[in-house]
Amino acid sequence: MSVIESIPDSPPPELRFRRRISVLESVRDLWQAREFIFALFERSLRARYKQAFLGFAWAIIPPLIFMVVLSVFVQHAVTIPTGGVPYPLFSYVALVPWNFFSSAVAAGGTSIVTSLDVMNKMYVPREVFPISTIMSNGVDALISVVGLGILFVVYAFVPKPTTVWVPLLFVIQIIFTLGIVFILSALVVYLRDLRYAMSLIIQVGLFATPILYGMDQVPPHLRLIYCLVNPLAPVIDGYRRVVIFGLNPEWSLLLPAAAMSVTYLVLGFRIFKRLETGFSDIA
Amino acid sequence: MRSGRIVADRVWKRFRADRRRTLLRDELERLRTQWNGEHRGWTWALRDVSFTAEPGDSIGIVGRNGSGKTTLLRLLAGVMYPYAGRVQLAGKLGTLINMSAGLHPDLTGQENIYIQGSLIGLKRKEIARRFDEIVGFAELEDAIRRQVKFYSTGMQLRLGFATAAFLDPDILLVDEVLAAGDAAFQQKCLERTRDKVMAGTTFIFVSHDLQSVEGMCREGMWLRDGVIAAAGPVRDAVAKYRDWVESYEAHYREKLRRVGEARIVKLDVTGPNGNGCRTEEPVEIRAIVESPEGREGTLFVGVSEGPSRPIFVLHHELSLHNGHIEARCRIPHLPLPRGRFYVWVGIFGKNGQDLLPWQPATEFDVSGPDLHPTPQGIVRLSPIQMTTAWDVGSR
Repeated sequence: MSVIESIPDSPPPELRFRRRISVLESVRDLWQAREFIFALFERSLRARYKQAFLGFAWAIIPPLIFMVVLSVFVQHAVTIPTGGVPYPLFSYVALVPWNFFSSAVAAGGTSIVTSLDVMNKMYVPREVFPISTIMSNGVDALISVVGLGILFVVYAFVPKPTTVWVPLLFVIQIIFTLGIVFILSALVVYLRDLRYAMSLIIQVGLFATPILYGMDQVPPHLRLIYCLVNPLAPVIDGYRRVVIFGLNPEWSLLLPAAAMSVTYLVLGFRIFKRLETGFSDIA
Repeated sequence: MRSGRIVADRVWKRFRADRRRTLLRDELERLRTQWNGEHRGWTWALRDVSFTAEPGDSIGIVGRNGSGKTTLLRLLAGVMYPYAGRVQLAGKLGTLINMSAGLHPDLTGQENIYIQGSLIGLKRKEIARRFDEIVGFAELEDAIRRQVKFYSTGMQLRLGFATAAFLDPDILLVDEVLAAGDAAFQQKCLERTRDKVMAGTTFIFVSHDLQSVEGMCREGMWLRDGVIAAAGPVRDAVAKYRDWVESYEAHYREKLRRVGEARIVKLDVTGPNGNGCRTEEPVEIRAIVESPEGREGTLFVGVSEGPSRPIFVLHHELSLHNGHIEARCRIPHLPLPRGRFYVWVGIFGKNGQDLLPWQPATEFDVSGPDLHPTPQGIVRLSPIQMTTAWDVGSR
């Protein structure tokens, strides 16, 4: 009895647990968990492509349908200047990376919530779940590039040599996506209804990013701000520039956007790590 | 030499008192109440918990539901973080929490084994070397390439224990799970655990099954409302817990006194010459039963450590008639060790109908020697005490 009564109501403040978050240690943890990441990645791929009726086609269908809809309806209602490039090609080149982003955010945003159970069994770095989700969505994106190849053949179009910049653009896109997914997936644990807001944000993003239209439609004096607010804009427009128009990326927009993306990643990682401490308390 | 060390230093953990939905609008509402200066409620799951474990230590944690046992285990497993204090572990960790065998239900048994191994830092080759042993122990040769979500509960348990115990952990954390397996597998697990502990693995075991805890662990810890109420040699800690549960449940047992047609007027247990009961000495149980009318039935008398599951049961045919009848039962040699025991009674008709529902009637104390100890890793079913005469010598 006396043992219990002698304990104060709350711990002395100097005892308060402060979790030290070290980036280096987190990366080492992640490296140790690489096998788990790959297993999750492989499993979700296999689930998607083995069991689903149309298999790999599901990766191509969404951007393709979008492209058709845009080409048939939008292009007829308002004429969007494409610089002489067929509109299907013009839009599809932007739809592929956009689709990667939106599906990665949608799936990655809920990846923690749907895995809380797994996380309560044994220690695994929590970043594993958003990362493996992004990876499997990345594979989808790669597959949907096949659709682009078909369009190239149909329009007898040869990708321009500046296409070599694509990997750089892709890296920036991944950095931005990771940052956003870290923030969202951690927040959704605490605010479950954010899930519904997510699809809204994605829909807004579709119009707030130069997908249906080119960057040239944005007034020049607003472009920098536009790209800072939405770092994905110069990336998506960049794909179009390098693959279709044979131009180098617009460095004056891309570099600030890249810096912004890195900021998002750092911020996202910090938020994620901070919130992660309480994930298990809520499950 | 094993390196499994645990240091828990003044650990505190709290949860929101309002087990709430986590929605934005709830959060806004909470902000509002906080703004108005109202305190938002927290409940402490663990308060000022400190202990250490060295290689080869085995600690059993007991306590009622909600006393913080699983929370403590989760903190040790690194799944949760404390609110205050410090938890430090050294060595490779094997965990089996919530009988959730395997890490991920969507992955196959094989993948789970490899992943769990890689997560505790084993190389693929090292895991491969133990793989067959794990599968063999878990008896899952046919199912190991199937997804864990298609496993039966027993299969999951077997995989979980085998993975946790065979990946050569320095620390083994096990929660409540063994009770779910069949007896043969339980025994296998207990033996395996004992071997590991002998080899220096640090073992932490959470269970409601006090006999298992006593059998498996050298040290015990009783958590009561998140506080260590007793810690020390396992029999002492568990005995303190048992005593507390009994006193706590005494009033609850009163409520269990249900009415039937018949009624127990008086029931007492007396030792020789009306004194207290002693081990191996004669005891008399005397019951006076009242009945409104004539009935044929059987009187059952069970002796238990508290719960309704008795250590042994006595029975006798009974012809009830209007009024009181007295039944006496003499046990020439009481086979119980020192401790407090409870008498449960019930009277059942020919067709099994309750004339008097099974219920606790009284309690009695036995004085005498302590129960013979069991070797570590051996779980005794019932605390039956035998008087023995040994004769050991060379021949």
